[in-house]
Formats: sequence, structure tokens, C-alpha cells
Amino acid sequence: EQSPSNQTSIAMMQEPQEMVEETVTVEEDPGTPTSHVSIVTSEDGTTRRTETKVTKMVKTVTTRTVRQVPLGPDGLPAMDGSSPLGSYTDSIDRRYLKNGERFITPQASSTLTRSYNSYNDSYPESHEGQYRPYGGHDGYAELSDSYGSLSRGVGYRPRYAFVPGGSYRPDDGSFTLPSRRDNYGPVAQPQVPVGSSVDLNRSQPERFQPEPYGLEDDNRSLGVDDEGYELDPDYSTVNRRTSAGVPERGRPHKGRGYDDPLDSELAEERIPYLHGGYAAPLAQPERGSMASIERLGKRSPSIDSIRKDPRWRDPDLPEVIAMLSHPIDPVKSNAAAYLQHLCYENDKIKKDVRHLKGIPILVGLLDHPKPEVHRKACGALRNISYGKDNENKVAIKNCDGIPALIRLLRKTNDMEVRELITGTLWNLSSYEPLKMVIINHGLQTLTNEVIIPHSGWESEPNEDSKPRDAEWTTVFKNTSGKLRNVSSDGAEARRRLRECDGLVDALLHALQSAVGKKDTDNKSVENCVCIMRNLSYHVHKEVPGADKYQELDAGQTTGTGGSQKKKKDDAGCFGGKKAKGKKNGDLDRNFDTLDLPKRSEAAKGFELLYQPDVVRLYLSILTESQNFNTLEAAAGALQNLSAGNWMWSTYIRATVRKERGLPVLVELLQSDSDKVVRAVSIALRNLSMDRRNKDLIGSYAMGELVRNLPSRQQRSAKNLEEDTVVAVLNTIHEIITDSSENARSLIQTQGIQKLVAISKSSQSPRETKAASHILQMIWSYKELRNALQKDGWNKSHFQSVSAAPKGSKGTAGRSGYDDSTLPLVDKSQDNEKSGSRDMIPMDELGPDGYSTIDHRDKERKYKSSDSTGDASEKEPLKNDTNRKNINRSNRASVNLVDARDIKPQPVDSWV
Amino acid sequence: QRIEIHKLRQGDNLILGFSIGGGIDQDPTQNPFSEDKTDKGIYVTRVTAGGPAEVAGLQTGDKIMQVNGWDMTMVTHDQARKRLTKRNEEVVRLLVTRQSLQKAVQQSMMS
Repeated sequence: EQSPSNQTSIAMMQEPQEMVEETVTVEEDPGTPTSHVSIVTSEDGTTRRTETKVTKMVKTVTTRTVRQVPLGPDGLPAMDGSSPLGSYTDSIDRRYLKNGERFITPQASSTLTRSYNSYNDSYPESHEGQYRPYGGHDGYAELSDSYGSLSRGVGYRPRYAFVPGGSYRPDDGSFTLPSRRDNYGPVAQPQVPVGSSVDLNRSQPERFQPEPYGLEDDNRSLGVDDEGYELDPDYSTVNRRTSAGVPERGRPHKGRGYDDPLDSELAEERIPYLHGGYAAPLAQPERGSMASIERLGKRSPSIDSIRKDPRWRDPDLPEVIAMLSHPIDPVKSNAAAYLQHLCYENDKIKKDVRHLKGIPILVGLLDHPKPEVHRKACGALRNISYGKDNENKVAIKNCDGIPALIRLLRKTNDMEVRELITGTLWNLSSYEPLKMVIINHGLQTLTNEVIIPHSGWESEPNEDSKPRDAEWTTVFKNTSGKLRNVSSDGAEARRRLRECDGLVDALLHALQSAVGKKDTDNKSVENCVCIMRNLSYHVHKEVPGADKYQELDAGQTTGTGGSQKKKKDDAGCFGGKKAKGKKNGDLDRNFDTLDLPKRSEAAKGFELLYQPDVVRLYLSILTESQNFNTLEAAAGALQNLSAGNWMWSTYIRATVRKERGLPVLVELLQSDSDKVVRAVSIALRNLSMDRRNKDLIGSYAMGELVRNLPSRQQRSAKNLEEDTVVAVLNTIHEIITDSSENARSLIQTQGIQKLVAISKSSQSPRETKAASHILQMIWSYKELRNALQKDGWNKSHFQSVSAAPKGSKGTAGRSGYDDSTLPLVDKSQDNEKSGSRDMIPMDELGPDGYSTIDHRDKERKYKSSDSTGDASEKEPLKNDTNRKNINRSNRASVNLVDARDIKPQPVDSWV
Repeated sequence: QRIEIHKLRQGDNLILGFSIGGGIDQDPTQNPFSEDKTDKGIYVTRVTAGGPAEVAGLQTGDKIMQVNGWDMTMVTHDQARKRLTKRNEEVVRLLVTRQSLQKAVQQSMMS
């Protein structure tokens, strides 16, 4: 320990602190640094895919270090000696753990999802196919945040930090990599002739991997210096250490796909390198690559943002880039790995690399036959492509990086390389102009190479053993993330994806198996669902043959029967406007008993997108998943599918109802997540284009919708964003349109008060406008006016937004409504569960009904609704007393639950 | 008293076999079990015979203080219900108190 420190102090006195820091970091996450180079790349790549900016990660690293070891002191790394190895191991484990965790962290994708969500705002009513531009760039910012947090969660950062810190504390603290290199340098040189370049190569990866760091630490702690500069002693030391540490270190390697036998070699080499490194900077003259390595080593610290030494900043990069073209392969791969390390979360470096024309060289290296070389180059490209600065991405594309990556993907079988490649492509795909390029070059390849094999489509489902799952999942996740990005690019992109052979099939299959395995919260599933959502966007307009499905104008309002014969000839049956179908209540009524058309052949390809079977899949996902992004995407997919006027949407709408999807959606309205609520409410809005859905939704969902509206008085009001509130308001508006029943239920859920409050005092003009629309619509139902006036509302409330709601009257009104609903509730009680809640009178009312929504009774409730609906399909639904009662009870239950102060009887819930 | 209830799976739902009343959004004066009629806690209003709750020792009139660590003394009825019926929980651990227990505690405190 001492020796390295001493050396470092000699070498760079200015970095004592850093040394300390780094030491710490290394200890913390040995894995990170090393992985950083090789492993990190993959991990970074994965994480980076969604978020281009990883700036946070650097910070994290720094923090960790600082925390760990107080800076300042003599600069001797507080290497206790013990920790390095131990921590190393830990970090390695952690690293691998991260791999696993990675799939779970939604943060990274959260931002991305959001962009896609906006993308999929297919609310047909007012804005047919409103296609919000892909907020990819917005996503970037968010992504970086999430990335940062993601990294944090995954510990990428630590890893990253490790790299810089770990390797060369003694030397220069700044970049571990450089130090490594230094180590390698001096050691390598003797090594190269002795060992082999292969060894060197191997050690290279080690260096960048957590392991190397660990080694370094070990070395340091163990008094690397003691070893001196001789290789042999180093070897012995190394061996010693290796035996101690290699097993652990080797682990990551193994995990990473390195050959096991190499581990020991690596360890050995590393150690000598490390030692050499320490010694080299000072002792050895610069020689060729080693010299440059050394220099790099020294400089690396400066590159590290943590390092404050400006001396080392720029000179490193040119040298590194020069080394990329060095004839010796190990040098190339080391240089690439070092670049990767440098570029980690360091935008300036990335830009510099671009300026120094490093990118074309890296792309060229992708074609290099040696795996280490192209792996490292890929890792470096991945880091470079990540970030807010899109010029790097453009630069990669300009030197034909994308075809090269695809080529390499086809050629390689190395899982790690595939991870890196797909990670890089994911990063690239987040930049809008590149999306089409990626589609052009890589869509079919990606589908064939990655999606299909990994989804288990046409083959046995993915019940693989753990390790294999993890492996494919990374690549699958990367690729699905990439496809998610590109699918947001517009109509053309969507069309290409839809037409891509086997893509939709495979995605659906993957989703189904995920649902089957109850593993719906991971990132891959999220990506897949988002892709499905994107592809469902405007599907009614964009799919070939869509016109045939469009409902024709007027005329042919033939019954339901005629249309279901052939899939394509049904357009006539539906009648109605062909336009952005706003209110198709009449049309839908005819389709109560709509049978799905019999297909002459099985649906395949993109047609699967809108088969009613897919509804079941989405509903399962909605029921099972806890991942907000996935929920939002699934709701968005349903929203897209049920939008529009064409035949399939009608089927979808009916299928959602028949599959008892409405309760699922209503329950999701209670979600804490803004975007979920928004997506679900817009989905409900679309679904209520179907008349029967509208009535059902009006009865079941009104309470939830109203509850989601902000209110000063409401105790548990959710703090929803404006967009969400507007969505909810619009949904309410849609529901009460053409249905005074629903308007009445709105009144009963004390919605008026909130609406008036919103229309009066809300900050957002959209909210105000939406709320006042609703109020006006309510007022237009003359039959309700009496009830309203009884409550103390008068015309001014509804016609203008300035009237202040009378709180007391509102309260009175509530009770009034409660009273009015009680009898109905009583009646409906019989229809409801036969709960004999004798404990408290009246507790059998709605509350039970309401509670039962979430429990087994929910089934019953909806069943009865459906059945009654079916029975009376030809009649207006309002006349269905059964249903009405049920509706009433639902509403009443909502009332009772909502009217906190007024309820005279306690409610009783069956659990 | 700590009671651990293993939910019973019935079809698509997990049930515990009792019903609750109370909550901060409810009227406490109607509660036949509470000594203090301003107590807005969650009380067990019924226990299904032979159900998981009865098996675990839950009695009617018990006041539920905690569910799996979540506080139940200041929650709305709906929140309480939700905490008890989480789909991904097979077991719920309740902390309940009842009159007999309360008296025992008081006596021990007084003595």
C-alpha cells in the first residue's frame, strides 16, 4: 500500500486526495471500474440506451469516493488492504447483480416512456390521431435523470468511479484506467514479448473490469510497490494475489464470457501490470505504446472530471486515438477500452473524440477480427453515443457506424458483444433523425437475430435457466428498447415495423410468456408493450386495407349479422360517419351482439396488433404489472386500439367489455402514477364510444374519475398534473355526453363542486375550459336541473366559470343526493351480493357494492351488467332496471364512500 | 395481539374471511364495538365461520391497529380495505386489540 502511494505521490503529488477517493471507490465497487471498461460498457450501454446522459453517474461515483475516504490527508489511500479484495469481490457480485437489476429499473425507461406516451395520445374524439411529436429530446433530459438514478440504483456509477479511481490511485488517482494502462504498459512490455499479446489483451479487459481494479487495490494495499518493478516478483505477487483474488475476480470475467483459464492469466498479468504501472511511470522511459500508455495513465486522472489537474486533459485524447491505430492489437483494444472509460459520462471527452476523428477509427475497429478489439471499440462507441450531445450519434452514423454495427451483430456470437452492439444501437436510436436509418439497415436483422430467438416465438417458450435468461434478456432488452425508440418515429417507421416479418408475432409471444411467468415488471416487457402501443397508434389508418374496415357513411346500418362473415367486407355494416368518429353510440348499439368476423386464415404479422385476442393480453398485463410504464403503455395500447371508427376498434371496444376489462381499467384509475391515470382515462374515453361501455363506465368509473379531480376539500386528493386532469375531465365529458344517466351519476358523486371549483380557480386554461364544457353539458340536461337547483346550484354555476360554489349548499346537495339514492340502493341491494351485513343498517348499500368491485364480487357485478346488457341489447340500456340498479348501487356506494362527513351509516367491507 | 392470516385463494381473489367497518371517512357513532364512540379506527364487523380469519384467531369487534406494518388507525375505509386485499400478499399480519385485551392492559397498568 505504502509503496504505491508513495509512488503516486512521487508521480503526482497533486492527486493525493484523489487517490484516496479512488481507493475508496475501488473498494466500494471494484466491479464498477473494471466493468466500466468492458463490463460497464455493457451495463452502461444498457442503461444508457434510454438515457443518453449519464452525467449523474459520475457524480455518484465521486460521492462515493469522498464519503469513503476523507480527502486531503496524506493522500495515502485508505486502503486497508483488506477491502480491495473483499470489496472487489463484492463489487463484482454487485456488478453482476446489477445486470439482473438492470432489467428492473424502470427509471431509465420512464422518461422514454413518457415520450412515447405522448406519442400515443390517440384520443380520437377531438383530435384524430393526435400525434405528439416524439419527445425524444425531451426524453433525453429526463432520461439522463433517470439514467442517473438508474445508474445509482444499479450501481453503475460506482463502477464507473471505480475505474478511474481504482486503478491508479497511487499514480494519479484520476483515471484508473490510465493507471491501468500504465501498469500494463510497463508490465506489458516485458510481458508482451514474454507472455503474448494475447495475454496483454486479456489483461486489458481485466483492467477495465472491476477486477482489475480490485487487483489494483489489492496490489496497493498489499504493498504493490514492494513487488518492485520486476515482472517476476510481480508475477509472483500477482499469482499470489491472483489466487486470492482471481477466483473472485475471475468470476466477473466468467460471467462476462471470458474464458476461465484466462482469468488467471489475466490476474497475473494484471498484477504485474499494476506493479509495473506504478513503477513504470517513473522508472521506465516511454517506449512506444507503453510510453503512451503511461502517459495516458498519468493523464487519465486529469481527464476524469474528479481530477482537477488541468495538465492532463487534452493530450491524452490524441494519444489514445492514435493508439487506436496502433499495429499491436492489444494496444488497440486497450486504447478503445480506455476511451470507453474516458467517455463515461463525460460529454466533453466525447466531443473531443469526435473532433479528433476518433469515431471513424472506432467504427473501423468494429470490423476487426479480434474479439477484444471490437468488443472494446463497441463499448467505447456505446459510451460515446450516449449523451445529450447528438452530434456524436450523427458522427457515428456518418461514418457508416450503423451498418457496421449490424454487420458485427450478424457475425458475432459473443453475448457481450451483442449486448454492446444493441446497447449502442439503442443509444443511437434515441436520436430522431437516425431512427429511419436504423430501421433501414437493421430492422430485419435485429428482428431475426434478437427478437425472434429471444422471444421464444415458434419455439419453446423462454423457460430458460437463469443465466441464459439474463443473457438474452439484456440483448433483448436493448433491442426492444431500440425498437421502441424507432417505433415512435412516425407513420413510416410504424409501417416498417408492422411489416417486418415476424416482429409483431414474436413480441406478442414474448409478452404472453412474460404474463404467463408473472414476470411483467421488467424492462423488456415494458419495452415490448411500448412497441405494441406505438404500433397500435393509428393502426386504423395506417394498416394496409384499413379503408375496407372503415365504416361507410350513412346507409348500411344493417344489423350486426351481416357483417361478420368476411373480415374485409364488413365495412358496410357499420354505417355511420367515416370521419374521426366522435360519437358512435348509435352505431355501436347495433353491434352489441357483434361477432368477430371469422378469419379465413389465421392472423399473423401486424394483423395481430388488433386482434381481439390481444385485448386479453393487455388486460392481463394491466392486471398484473406493477410497473407504471408498462401499465401506461398497455393502457395506451388499448386506447389506441379502441380509437377510431373502424371495424376492429369496435370489436376491440366490445371485447374489452366482454373480457371484463372495464373494471381493471377503473381500478387503475386509483393508481398513484400520473401517467397511468392519464392513459387509463383516455382509454376509457375511447372505449366509451361504445354505447354499452359508456353506460358501464359511467356507472362504475364516475366515482373514480371524480376522485381523481383535484379539490381543495378532498382529503386524499391526488396531486395530478394538468394533462392528467384534463384527460380525466375529457373522459367525464365524453361519458356524460348523450347520457343523462351518467350526468346524474356525476352529480351524485359530488362532482359538481369540484368541477365548479376547477372551472373557477384552476390555473390551467385547458382545465378550466374542459370543466366548463362539462358543466354546460350537464346544464343542458334539463331534467337534471331540478336536482341541481335543489342542491343550491343555479344556472350561473354552469354557464360561467366565475360563480363560486356554495360550500354548504353543496354539502346539503350531497346529502340530498345520498337520500335520493338510498332507496335505489336498497333495491339494488338485492341484486348485489347477498351480504347480510346486519351489523349496521344500510351498510349493505353501495359500499359493499363498491368494495366488491375489487373483490370477487366484482366479477359478479360486471357479469350481471353484461348479462343484462346482453339481454336487452336492443333496448336502450336505461330501461334495464337491473342494470340500473346495479349502476345505482355502484354509484351510491361511491357516494357513501365519498361523502365522508355525511354518511350516516358506517360502511362495511368484505375482505 | 398479533394475528397472522393466510389468505385463502378463491378463484381470482384472495380472501381473508372477515369484514371491516370504520375509517376516518365513516361515522364512528355507529360502531357497536368501540368503547369510545369517536374512535374512527377499523373494526372487525364480522368473521366468516371457518374462514382464514377465524382460524387465525380474529374475533369480531377487534380493532385493527396495523396491517403488515401499515397503520390502520387513521385511514379511510377504502384505504383499509386496500391494505388488506393486496393481490400480491398471501399473508397479512394484523395487530389487533380488543376489549378484553384492553382491560387486561389497564388492569396491569393500574396494579
